[in-house]
Amino acid sequence: MPTLIRAEGLTKYYRRPRRYEGAFGGLRTLITRQYDEVRAVDGVDFTVSDGELVGYLGPNGAGKSTTIKMMTGVLVPTGGLIEVDGTAPWRDREKNAMHIGVVFGQRSQLWWDLPLVDSFTLLGKMYRMSEADYRRRLDGFIDLLDLGPFLDRPVRQLSLGQRMRGDLAAAMLHEPSILYLDEPTIGLDAVARDRMRDFIAEMNRESGTTIVLTTHDLVDVEALCNRVVFIDKGRVLYDGSVVDLKATYAPHRTLVVQLASGFTAARAAELLGPEVPGDVIADEGPTLRIRFEANRISAQEIISAVTSRCPVTDLSLVEPELEDVMRTLYGNRTIAV
Amino acid sequence: MGSMRMTFLLYRAAVRGEMQYRLNFVMLLALGLVYQGSGIAFVWTVLRTFDTIAGWNFGELAFLYSLRLMAHAVWVVPFHQLVSMDTTIREGRFDRYLVRPLNPFLQIITSRFRMNVIGDVMAAVILFTIAVNLVDIDFSPLSVAYLVLAVVGGALAEGAAAVVVSSLSFRSVQTWAASQLVDNIYLMFGSYPTRVFGGALTWGLTWVLPVAVVAYIPSSVLLDKTDSLHLSAPAAVAAPLIGVLWFGAAYKWWRVRMRGYQSVGA
Ligand SMILES: Nc1ncnc2c1ncn2[C@@H]1O[C@H](COP(=O)(O)OP(=O)(O)OP(=O)(O)O)[C@@H](O)[C@H]1O
Ligand SMILES: [Mg+2]
Repeated sequence: MPTLIRAEGLTKYYRRPRRYEGAFGGLRTLITRQYDEVRAVDGVDFTVSDGELVGYLGPNGAGKSTTIKMMTGVLVPTGGLIEVDGTAPWRDREKNAMHIGVVFGQRSQLWWDLPLVDSFTLLGKMYRMSEADYRRRLDGFIDLLDLGPFLDRPVRQLSLGQRMRGDLAAAMLHEPSILYLDEPTIGLDAVARDRMRDFIAEMNRESGTTIVLTTHDLVDVEALCNRVVFIDKGRVLYDGSVVDLKATYAPHRTLVVQLASGFTAARAAELLGPEVPGDVIADEGPTLRIRFEANRISAQEIISAVTSRCPVTDLSLVEPELEDVMRTLYGNRTIAV
Repeated sequence: MGSMRMTFLLYRAAVRGEMQYRLNFVMLLALGLVYQGSGIAFVWTVLRTFDTIAGWNFGELAFLYSLRLMAHAVWVVPFHQLVSMDTTIREGRFDRYLVRPLNPFLQIITSRFRMNVIGDVMAAVILFTIAVNLVDIDFSPLSVAYLVLAVVGGALAEGAAAVVVSSLSFRSVQTWAASQLVDNIYLMFGSYPTRVFGGALTWGLTWVLPVAVVAYIPSSVLLDKTDSLHLSAPAAVAAPLIGVLWFGAAYKWWRVRMRGYQSVGA
């Protein structure tokens, strides 16, 4: 797959003229040569290929939105290279805009006081869509996102979930080849989230839209992203598949064993002894947990070791949660500071 | 000319949006009319008390004053939204304009439409109609063409200053006070024969801040009073061009400042 987005040593330092309070404070702010500097993105490298769906993750203030703003052409980088489809978005803003869609989860792009459908009409014109294309796309979204019931309601009267659906359709109307989503599921309920995820997955799968997504909802990531780029303090900490991420930062799986009645976990632990590689955690009751490293020993081996020695009624395997990964990553961060 | 058409559609949407709030819509319209109407009444009384100012009689003063109003109206109707650009930026709405395939300047000015500007138009048209009857101008096609050019040039001359002020908000400065100041400078110094303010100020109001070019110089041309001007007759005739040039430069400057736009957090 050809590379669509390329960032090399990408940097953004926010420079703010130092603020002054009091009488003539504004005027001093205006002419000052003193700056406060925030290193929001500090030498980031990554590429995104055509058709990928990439999660761009990191804690609050990591620099995710700032990177998205540079990819979309909102911000001019302080340094480094950013190229989308061969051009620098900030230099060729309007050209870049023609083939990208952007959702800023916190901010709607819809015309607040007008019926939802008016926003679509205006955007259709702005992106110079033909009448036929416009109708086809809009009808598709009305179906897919169930916009029908509130198409004629002023945007300010829509619920957050309805408005977000409207915003997604607005961003995708002109068939962009890249979709940037900055926290698209923020504030949505479980049903709305699911629907949003289905839509995002479908856009990627069916239309081959390349998608860059930021979110703090790890369920989004598990459900949608094959690949994640994890940043913190403006630097890339990890770039790769979710599976590898887990294997690296949360290598442990847990086997949960329900023992037959009368058989305590403590007794089972005794029987198993040191032969089983992994931490055996014996509860008071008949439940035994064995935490093991997935790349050292297979679940199969552990299970047969247990079943050959103890009477077992039920077995389940707990996969590592992405949340554990985040905790490890955030944990390292606190140590690194 | 896709952008022109799009701009028109966005204005129309803005007006429709405004009309959702019917009461407010009507009130703003009324406010505009009352405000401008009382302004006219005040000026009328003031002008009446002088027989002549700097050799300009009452009719000529009214003509000058109304020409300034015309230029102001032509500026303010399409561009008044520029005044709230600092709010747009502070509330984070400017990002959106940068990811759409349309000039952000056009998106800013079409983002709302405040009905009170219709008051400015009404006031200008009414006063101008009256004033034209008080002076003795021979309306040949040439002088009508010049008049139109003068109004457009004047609008752009005032607009240039407003564009420069609005560009300060790219540095996240609040600009409300500064735009009020500019507004008042044009009103105070642009509505009377600039000569009365003295030589240095007249020079400054021509070449530093293009105020005299809005109405004073063009009405001198139209009323055949160029003898008493501080610049030669051919230069005076070219005055509307100064507004155009200023505006072009101001817009260029605005685009340069836009490069420094830093967005807002979250
Ligand atoms: N417009 C701005 N001016 C100055 N500093 C900013 C601006 N926007 C962001 N920052 C700072 O830059 C850093 C990165 O911010 P950014 O918004 O990119 O983080 P983020 O990863 O999107 O965080 P979150 O998950 O909270 O949305 C933060 O320290 C933030 O305070
Ligand atoms: Mg963010």
